[in-house]
This record gives sequence, structure tokens and C-alpha cells, in this order.
Amino acid sequence: MSVYLSGDFASVEPATRAIRDLKSRGYGLGDLVVFSDEPIIFPPGVLRRPSHMSLTAVLGAITMFLLASGFVYFAQHNYPLITGGMPIFSFWASGIISYEFTMFGAIVSTFGCFLWESGLVRKREEAPVPHIQPERIHLRVRCRPEQTDEANHLMLRAGASGVTRL
Amino acid sequence: MAAAPEVIIPYHEVRDDLWRPLGPASNRYWIALSIAFAVAAWGILCWGYQIYAGIGVAGIRRPVFWGFYLVNFVFWIGISHAGTLISAILRLTDAGWRKPVTRVAEAITVFALMIGGMFPLIHLGRVWVFYWLIPYPNSRLLWPNFRSPLIWDLTAIVTYLSGSVIYLYLPLIPDLAQLAEETSGWRKRLYSALSLGWTGSDREWHSLEFAMKLMAGLILAVAVSVHTVVAWDFSMSVAPTWHSTIFGPYFVTGAIFSGIAALILVMTVVRRALHLEKYLLSKHFNNLSKLLLLLSVAWLYFTAAENLTIWYGNDPKEMQVFGVRTRGGYAPFFWFMVFCNFVVPFVLLGIRRLRSITTATIASACVLVGMWLERFLIIIPTLATPRLAAAWGHYAPTWVEISITCATFSAMVMMYLIFSKLFPMISIWEFEPHPPEPEEE
Repeated sequence: MSVYLSGDFASVEPATRAIRDLKSRGYGLGDLVVFSDEPIIFPPGVLRRPSHMSLTAVLGAITMFLLASGFVYFAQHNYPLITGGMPIFSFWASGIISYEFTMFGAIVSTFGCFLWESGLVRKREEAPVPHIQPERIHLRVRCRPEQTDEANHLMLRAGASGVTRL
Repeated sequence: MAAAPEVIIPYHEVRDDLWRPLGPASNRYWIALSIAFAVAAWGILCWGYQIYAGIGVAGIRRPVFWGFYLVNFVFWIGISHAGTLISAILRLTDAGWRKPVTRVAEAITVFALMIGGMFPLIHLGRVWVFYWLIPYPNSRLLWPNFRSPLIWDLTAIVTYLSGSVIYLYLPLIPDLAQLAEETSGWRKRLYSALSLGWTGSDREWHSLEFAMKLMAGLILAVAVSVHTVVAWDFSMSVAPTWHSTIFGPYFVTGAIFSGIAALILVMTVVRRALHLEKYLLSKHFNNLSKLLLLLSVAWLYFTAAENLTIWYGNDPKEMQVFGVRTRGGYAPFFWFMVFCNFVVPFVLLGIRRLRSITTATIASACVLVGMWLERFLIIIPTLATPRLAAAWGHYAPTWVEISITCATFSAMVMMYLIFSKLFPMISIWEFEPHPPEPEEE
């Protein structure tokens, strides 16, 4: 049984302090989530979540390049057109198709990876979401019931203007 | 352009101002939408008539087998470079001033591509055989010819359109989530569905920002390729004045040029119609005007380089086309194009004293006219003056082509009007509160 607390911060600095303190007490990245109405830039290493989006885009691009090139090669040989002495399959002529499909693969896989990594299409966790106030930073902490006081204290000490139980 | 006093617009005021256009529509909005819809509907009727009566109702005759439809195709694909390209370049370079401009631009891209992508279908005449382009073996087990620039166009436009829709949609998600909280009824359902359950967590923001950066780079590469492919539709044929190695960059430059002009024009209308004077500032117009001026000079350079090599080469067949274009029947269009694309922007935007929102809008309107004429002058004179003098011909558009052309502009207006009522025209989450600027003197 987990308990969720939400610390309300006015700026990045106290929120950063709170995250550092909580991490030093053994809270993992999975326990800490920051909610805001605009992207927050924390100092390097504070809330770093690894992303595989670039790799996914490259893999998507390579996959589509191979599929498109292979498909054009197959189609050209399946019914060879009269090419006036030019090769039946040439990368010069099919390069555009391969290129566009490569980019298509990268775009679609980037979008797919965004949906996956952001958690928008995955089965949503049951954790409550704090009501976001404009220009405020809300730090949600997942802890065990016996850790509630400790997490509460750490956030208030770091500069939270208030801590609520969600 | 006036300096700004040090007063910051409060966040709630920003939100109210940017959401106000989503409220009940005024009578003027309905009148504008009705007119745009009526003209667009007339264009669809004309297309229906063309399908019923045959492509003969258009003015395309041998040897001019590409007329207004292909001119419009190239023109609209060029306009589509407004958004994605400009937005992507500015996003990659972290230009802070881009923020109120990007969505206006990205929406132009999507709508212009939708319109431009229709023209190959309209031009096809027998539109019901369009599926022959789809790569699967038909009844005679024949595959499409992947060497054909028509197939290149299809793949390029499909890729660009998909990428542009995603690129427009991604930064909309946080705004849609905010709107879902504030609205009710069908709007709430629409925004909730489209926002995909966005909560504003750092994981979501991180993924969004990363995806936007990546998409900006990808879309840039696709946008350049799309107009290069459109240029290759021409330069791959050994027709006089078309078989040119610089057609790719020439077309891309022209596309960005016309795209920026369209962006300035739309921004002016949006600014006034939606009362966004506090957000679309003169500094945005000033920066875009400088870009327009730069591209005007680049366009002149490419035009001069292209025509100089034709003139210097003195190939009789090319000189025939060059002659009709610069001294013959098409000369008034040619020199008017130079006036619109270079003289007007150079004078109005090059002289600092004259540069303002009004002059930027006038210059942009002229550039759009000039760029449409440029597409016309690239396509028609070459086709009307083929190598064999006995085959020379003439092209005059019919009422069907003119109606469909007008309808596309109306369709653009109509889609923009509908979009502006459904979605905020400026990204709220990206918008940094800034000092308000006094009205231009």
C-alpha cells in the first residue's frame, strides 16, 4: 500500500533541493514525479530520465529503408519494365522512394516512442494526479505509510509552501 | 518599430486572451466562413463537372498538357514550406521569438499540403484510377513504375503530410489538456480525447520536448526533399529550360520565400481578426520581414543564374523559350513577377524607415502573386514552345480551372477559420509572458 504526497513549490530551486534530499534518502526516480503546466528545466542529473527516442528513430528509419528498398527491388523484378538499357533496379531511380520511406519510418517511430515513453498510451497507473496551479511546481512522492512524515518534512525543509496527501 | 515598456502581461491574462477566440463566433466570422464555404463548394462542383464531362473542359491541350492545376500544385506545395520549415529551423536554433509564430505557421503547412496534394488528382481527369499509383500489382500483374516522378511525389507528399500533422499535433497536446479542464460538452470530449490523458508530468514534458527536437530535424530534411522532388518533376525531362541541375535548390528557395510571405499574410489577418496584437508583435513581423528580404535576394540570384546560363549557352531551343518568356507574349508576366518578387520587397522591407507590419503585409501579398506567376512561367512557356516549331501551341485557362483555383484559396481560408475556432492559434504552454507593446504609430 503506497501513499502519495504532493509538495507545492514556487520555483525550481526548492523543488530541486527536495528531489535531491528525497533521492539521498533512498527514494527512486519511479517514486518522484514533477507536475507543472510548462516544462521545467532542472540542473543536470537531478531528475534525469533516460530516453531511447533517438535510437528508436534510427531503428525505424533503417527498418523502413530496408523494407522500401526491398519492396521496390522485388516489384521491379516481379514485372520487369522495359527500361531502354538501364538497369531494372537502380538506387539512383529508387533512391527517392527509399529516402522518403526512411524518413517516414523515423517520423512514425519517433511519434510512437513519444507516446510510449511519455506513458500516454501505456496502461495508466492508479496514482492520483495533483491539481496543477499555473506557474507552480508540484512534486508527487510515492512512499510507504511509515515514510509519510519523513517525506513531508523533507519537502517542507526544502522550501515547499505546502504538502498535501493525495 | 516601437520599443516595449517593462510591464509583464500576467499569465491569466495571456490564457484569457489566447482562449477568447475559441468562444462563440461573431456574425463576421459566420459571414466569412459562409463565403469561403460557398466558393470552395463551387470549386468542388466544378471538379464534379470536370469528372462528368471529361478533362476536355479544362484548357489543357497539346502541347500544353500541364496548366493551372500543376501551377497550383507547385504553388501550394511551396506555401506548405511556411510552417514546418520555418518552425523547425527556429526551434532547432532555439530562437525564442518563434513561440507565438510557430502554430500559425504549422497550420499553414498542413492545410496547404492538403490542398496541394489534391491537384494531381484533379489534374488526373479520371480520378477513379488514382489507386493505380498505390504499389500493388493490378489486374495485369503490373507494378507502378518506381522510376516515375509521379510516384516520387506521392511518397514525398504522404511522408511530409504525415510528419507535418504530427508536428502540428505534438505541441498542441498540453494546450488541449488545459482546454479539456476548462471546457464542457462536446469540446471537453474532443479535447480530452485528443490530449490522450496528458497530466503535465515531467516524464511527459521531457518526452514532448525531445520528440519536438527530433521531429524538427526530421521534418526539415523531408521538407527540403519534397520541393526538390517537385522540382525534379520538371528537370528530369529533357525539355527546354527545365533540364537544369539547380532546379532543386531554386524550387526550395522559392518555396521558403512564398511560405514566409504566406505566414506574414496569415499572421496579419490572425492578429487583427483575433485581437492578438499583444502577442504577435512588430518584432515578429520585423524578423520575418528580414527573412523575406533575404529570400527575395536569394530568389533573384537563382533566377538570374538560371536565365544567364540559358542565355549564355545560346541553345536555339532554349532561347526560344527564353525569348517568349522575357520578350514575347509572356514578358509582361515575367517582368511583373520580378517586380513583385524583388522590387517591392526590396524597397518596402530593405529601407528600414518603410518597414512596418503594413508594408510587410503588402510585400507578402506581392510575393505570393509573384511566386504564383513564377510557377506559371516555369511550366507554361516551356510546354507551349516545344523543340518542334510546328508543335507550338497556346494555353488559356477555362472557367473550370479558374473556379477550382479560386476554390483552393477559399478552402485555405475556410480550414483556417475552423481551426482558429477549435484550437488556440498560439501555443499557451510555450508562450513566455512578455512586456506588452504599444500600437504601431
